[in-house]
Amino acid sequence: MRLRYALLLGVWASSIGAIRAQDDLLGLLNEGAPAPEKEPVTAIFKGTKVINGQSPELPAPGVMQFMILHRFGAFSDDFFYNFFGLDNAEIRLSLEYAPVHWLSIGGGRSSFQKTYDGFAKYRIMRQSTGSKGFPLSIVGYSTANVQTLRWQDGLPHNESERWTYSHQLVLARKFSDRFSLAVTPSLVHFNVVERADDPNDVIAIGFGGRFKLNQRISFNAEYFPQLNPAQYGPEGQRETYQNSLSLGFDIETGGHVFQLFFTNSRGLNDPSWIARTPGEWGQGDVYFGFNISRVFTVKPPKLPEG
Amino acid sequence: MNLFRTLLVSALFATPALYAQLPSIGSVKPSAMAEKWQTRTAYVRFFSTTPVEDIEAVNNQVSSILDPLKGEFAFQVPIKGFVFEKALMQEHFNENYLESGKHPNASFTGKIVDFDPGKLTGTGKVKLVLRGKMTIHGQEKEMDIPVELTPKAGKGMIEAKFKVVPEDFGIKIPSAVRNKIAKDIEVSVKADYAG
Repeated sequence: MRLRYALLLGVWASSIGAIRAQDDLLGLLNEGAPAPEKEPVTAIFKGTKVINGQSPELPAPGVMQFMILHRFGAFSDDFFYNFFGLDNAEIRLSLEYAPVHWLSIGGGRSSFQKTYDGFAKYRIMRQSTGSKGFPLSIVGYSTANVQTLRWQDGLPHNESERWTYSHQLVLARKFSDRFSLAVTPSLVHFNVVERADDPNDVIAIGFGGRFKLNQRISFNAEYFPQLNPAQYGPEGQRETYQNSLSLGFDIETGGHVFQLFFTNSRGLNDPSWIARTPGEWGQGDVYFGFNISRVFTVKPPKLPEG
Repeated sequence: MNLFRTLLVSALFATPALYAQLPSIGSVKPSAMAEKWQTRTAYVRFFSTTPVEDIEAVNNQVSSILDPLKGEFAFQVPIKGFVFEKALMQEHFNENYLESGKHPNASFTGKIVDFDPGKLTGTGKVKLVLRGKMTIHGQEKEMDIPVELTPKAGKGMIEAKFKVVPEDFGIKIPSAVRNKIAKDIEVSVKADYAG
């Protein structure tokens, strides 16, 4: 009996030593290493766009991004006659490059009104953890857009009439591994509007969210209420432009992000989808759309030497 | 009597478990610490090769400690320290595969097999086997890693090359990219304790 207890005691004593020794070494490693003061939070959103609006993400430095945006015709617009909206689809192609980690510049072309655009996206603050961390990512985004339709009315025009601009500030936070939110105050400027009492400057406050369903798929939603929407249509039947509302999914595969969604906005350059959306969800003016992005590493980072 | 015995025995076994969780008790004295070999700039590279794509990532923020008297060792690898050539790949590695938000570090702790302190004090290269617990993606596996030790400035440098299978550590590779990621990933390690 006494022997048994002695044995047990021996096992007990040696187990202390065994458990402690290696934990000690890991503990020692951590003791001397100060926690990083600032560590950026990555992948607040998966793509550079939430759906139509900008996310706080930029392409990585040295990376060129090609995007194809596509919106099929509306369900309410002779959907089957137009072969599921394929016959009257809108498309925008864009190419951008990030020379440094805080800036991306690029250009695009949308089929709607044959519009060219140039844009710059710049990171002001980055959400980060640690003692010197910051709770939000703040990113600015500005576009200049010029439509190039031929004048058909025989009247004299100024070229400046073709130009529209947008400026946005994306304030975003990743609240958890699964959930991120962006609030985007936006200003859209039209050099020329339809009627004298339409606003040249439309203000909208956008909300965009991402909820990760699994490692590769997330659910995204976006709503851009305008504070002073313009109106359209003939005298006596004026209607107010709608707020853009979009719902969809991000799907990731290797070098691509696919975004598949439904939206009531058909325009693809920023001024048109933010402030010139006539479509109403309730009337079936819903467009199925997708965004595809493909990245190319132009300048790879230098790997540390061994 | 029986009840007393049961209580006594369970108390004896419970104690070390509790004890092990108190970090301050029995910690190493400063003088003993000085004798340990240590580095914070060890280097880990992994390489995955398939006919479709080669993937390489490098990390030089690895820390390691080795007790030359007892032959015990620990390596700690911050997952976010891996640098890839393609930024998107690096993001996927952290977000989807290693989940570095949840599991920020990988580690390998254990003891040198058939350890003899004399092996570390020679002048020529020595082959050793590190036996211990590999923790990646929050999952553990017992592994034996053959290494080569080169004596250097009274301390030494350890180099190793071995294979790791992602599935052993609960890292799922989706079928869409299965042909781009090797079944076993080659890992090279270099820890220079004298550097």
